[in-house]
Amino acid sequence: MDRRRFLSRTGWLTAGALLGPGLFSRPLVRGALAAQGDRYLVSLVLDGGNDGLNTIVPMDDGDGSLRSDYEAARLGGTGGLRLAVDGPNPLLPLSVAGLAGRDPNTGAELGMHPGLAGIVPGVIEASGDPGFGGLHALWAAGKVAVVQGCGFPDYNLSHDEARRVFHTANPRGVSALATSGWLGRTLARPAAGFGATDVPGLNFRDAVAGEFRQHATAVAAARRLSDFTMPKDVSAYSSDNAAKLAAIEALYAAQSSRPGPWRELGDAGTATFRCMDVFPAASKLYLADRAAWSAGYDKMGLGTGRDLREVAKAIYARESGDERVQAFAFRVDNGGYDTHSDQGGADPAGQHWALHAELGASLKHFFDDLADMGSALDRRVTVLVWSEFSRRVRQNDSGTDHGSQGPMFVVGGGVNGGVVGNHPNIASSDLASDGNTRYRQGTHDFRSTDVRDVYGTLLVQWLGVPAAAVIDPATGMLRLDDGPPDERWTVANFDLRRAVDGAPLFAA
Amino acid sequence: MGGETTILDRRSARHLLRRSGFGASERVVDRWLRFGLTRGQAADELVSFTPAGFKPGGRSLGELHNAWVKYLLKARSGLNEKLVLFWHDHFATSFGKVGDEILVGRQNQVLRKACRGNMIDLVKAVNRDPAMMIFLDTVKNSKTEPNENYGREMLELFTLGTVDLDGRRNYSDQKDPAAIARAFSGWGIDRTSGAPVFRDSRHDTQAAYPERGPKILFGADDASPQGYGGFGPGGASFADAGEGAQEIDRVTEIVFAHRDGDGVPTVARRTAKRLFEFFAYGAYRDAQGVDRGGFASPEPGSEERLAIDEVISRSGFATRWEVGALVREILVHDAFYAGLDDPARKSVKWPIDFAVTTLKTLGVKLMGRDSRVPGLGDRSVYTHLSNMGQVVLNPPSVFGWDWEGAWVGSQSLLARFGFARDVYTARSTGGMRPEKLVDSTLTDPGAIVDAVAELLGVREDLSAGERAALVGYLGAGPVNLLDPVTVDKKLRGLIGLVLQSPAYQLH
Repeated sequence: MDRRRFLSRTGWLTAGALLGPGLFSRPLVRGALAAQGDRYLVSLVLDGGNDGLNTIVPMDDGDGSLRSDYEAARLGGTGGLRLAVDGPNPLLPLSVAGLAGRDPNTGAELGMHPGLAGIVPGVIEASGDPGFGGLHALWAAGKVAVVQGCGFPDYNLSHDEARRVFHTANPRGVSALATSGWLGRTLARPAAGFGATDVPGLNFRDAVAGEFRQHATAVAAARRLSDFTMPKDVSAYSSDNAAKLAAIEALYAAQSSRPGPWRELGDAGTATFRCMDVFPAASKLYLADRAAWSAGYDKMGLGTGRDLREVAKAIYARESGDERVQAFAFRVDNGGYDTHSDQGGADPAGQHWALHAELGASLKHFFDDLADMGSALDRRVTVLVWSEFSRRVRQNDSGTDHGSQGPMFVVGGGVNGGVVGNHPNIASSDLASDGNTRYRQGTHDFRSTDVRDVYGTLLVQWLGVPAAAVIDPATGMLRLDDGPPDERWTVANFDLRRAVDGAPLFAA
Repeated sequence: MGGETTILDRRSARHLLRRSGFGASERVVDRWLRFGLTRGQAADELVSFTPAGFKPGGRSLGELHNAWVKYLLKARSGLNEKLVLFWHDHFATSFGKVGDEILVGRQNQVLRKACRGNMIDLVKAVNRDPAMMIFLDTVKNSKTEPNENYGREMLELFTLGTVDLDGRRNYSDQKDPAAIARAFSGWGIDRTSGAPVFRDSRHDTQAAYPERGPKILFGADDASPQGYGGFGPGGASFADAGEGAQEIDRVTEIVFAHRDGDGVPTVARRTAKRLFEFFAYGAYRDAQGVDRGGFASPEPGSEERLAIDEVISRSGFATRWEVGALVREILVHDAFYAGLDDPARKSVKWPIDFAVTTLKTLGVKLMGRDSRVPGLGDRSVYTHLSNMGQVVLNPPSVFGWDWEGAWVGSQSLLARFGFARDVYTARSTGGMRPEKLVDSTLTDPGAIVDAVAELLGVREDLSAGERAALVGYLGAGPVNLLDPVTVDKKLRGLIGLVLQSPAYQLH
């Protein structure tokens, strides 16, 4: 990858003038293409452990017993979480025109939680409302791969440990991979060409997320792009601003050869100053050019939609020709999935519905926004939706305890939509002693999807990282484990395919 | 190298006060030096505080939060409050889920009173703390519908940790949280008084649920045929004193009897490790950039591992479980003072420490009902700490806050810059009076930089290059600190720069 360079820094006071309307009022102009094919990746976490069994749900038994097993585990009535095939707020079938929505192993028809259609009572209810149709509309348009049964060898019921495996892609706890994330390693590999204060990744949260962690390049975290500003003194002393900024930049730059936390602070500070030059203007540009789209995100709730708007702003600035915007990998959160109690089933007032409605509507509006920007952007952005674990097969009185494998979504116009991988076996006779589904590999009927296969497919087929680099035992993003035969990863693993016809995960 | 008989010098005394409280009072430092106090004598003085009775109150999270912050500014014992913060992070309970100001305030008071006492008693108190019972679903847990939330976090976060210091699993992930759920079934809250209550009718008994097997902890499972914690394959029974309300205390006692692969009580090592991380430093990356683990992952044979075992044995913590005695041994240990000489053994200040220490040191008051920092932004201290990523009484999850590296991301830095700006521009009532903080007869830019760096405790940490950058900000030639405009512009600006500097983010 050729290193993308910032325009020469012109200092904080003149940055606004440089990024003025002259540069940005042009219609979208594609900047120089980066080696990842000018593609973007968003990691969107459903934090707390999303109940996968109530997200992608068997609607019948097919040749097996998935629906019967589901109804035995998820109850009707008060506190019951069972999602019905018909009646009020029924499951949304995955089998729609042109798409096969069956579980490849059992043939059971699958449905989506009705909240994922993005229905927020009183806010998003009808066609034309931003985000209406949600994830199900994106599915019906062929833009969603539902990757079932995602997990890692065995499983871990601790939020922290399960997150750590998803972040590091390191289920065996290999120490060389323990402190960096799979995406962080990708951004930091020398061939990517980013330096210690370049910002190829942006996280819209208080701190850099685990999958972005590394020590070679900067990933910036902020809640909003407009937060990247240096607070100033009163206007009477504005002549002092440049001197202050020069001094503080020097203090952070001075840490590059000091040990431990000094250097970490120094790099974070210097990267932050760079972001100040770029991102507030990017935010203003988007708000000026795309006010109506911006307003739509405010209807999605307080979290995910507004964070995706920040992603849209960064992409819009980069696509408008601001080469100083290097970010192409983003992290967005949707929190609150740890539904031990009062989870709610198909009730629009319930917790799980609200979470799913926010997720579904936000994703739909985001891709509508991208499509409207032109330049095939809706086909150049992929969102990976994941959660640290699913939840217990059998519900408790009103919620669900921690579980094992669950579905991931790969969303975007570049995706060959469809079902990938098998639904876990939820028959009570097949569960582990703690009531969770088992991780399986090899030729098992209920073979699971290893999370490393998902990451590997994204890295190789979406971001264009050479497969050999992905699994290099010394520096690779993913580990070629020397465990049992089932865990010996090869390049062939990084090729998830749609079940019904064997199409690759991404369109050419 | 030193020990408890080492006599404190000024740097060490300030370090001890800053790390065990909020800022270093020169009055205390002077007294200690005058009497030639040793590390041990000073630590004894600090640890011997009488736990305060303060209980934060208010009608919203913001009011509760600000009440505690205001108390931190005036608390008699900084160490008392540091320990409350430590345990608050350890037994993290979020207002966001509990939703009850009274119960959250009461829990904070419980931690304050018990923070340096017997740790077994502390865990027993947390087990039946109403805010915790709501937060981790003990109130939803019953014999018919077991809820494992509390049992899992009690083992993973409050006591043992999932693995010991050598990476060996401490308990059965599948069986032990479920077993604890059985012991805790029936516990809940009395709706009128808000007090904990045990209801026998909701409690799981072996007779009613023979298929759940005997009530044991740490027995064998598929992954460990010999069981866990040194109790053998049969584990330890928590119904050995009869079934019912007493089971949760038996569970706690068994957990504290759990021993790691070296035969050392597992809770003792983990608690000492975490207290060292809190008071001294976490990760340690040496001058060559090599990760040496530090207290974040103390390797066998490392200085940190030795330090952990030394403070346990000197304090008798593994038998008496007195937190104060353990903290005392940490505060006299070389590892606690290591950051004074080794810049790699520094720790990132928690946002609450950064904010409170700054306000105290510079004499800035919080104004009005919403406790505003009286500078240009005129924002509530709650808003500032929320931006920095640490709203006390509302930790992001049961894991508490991520320490160290997580505090130095761009969001957190930007928020610290913003707080610093509001402090250095605090010119109105309650604001900063720079002319009272720095000797106004100074004229040499270098001497002024040194005075401000000394005031804020970073003089030894600034490199020559950093000092030069700050001197350069003041400009060439003498500075007239008797000129109000110079003070208002440049001296305030200089204080702001030091507050925003890398050195001031560390301690």
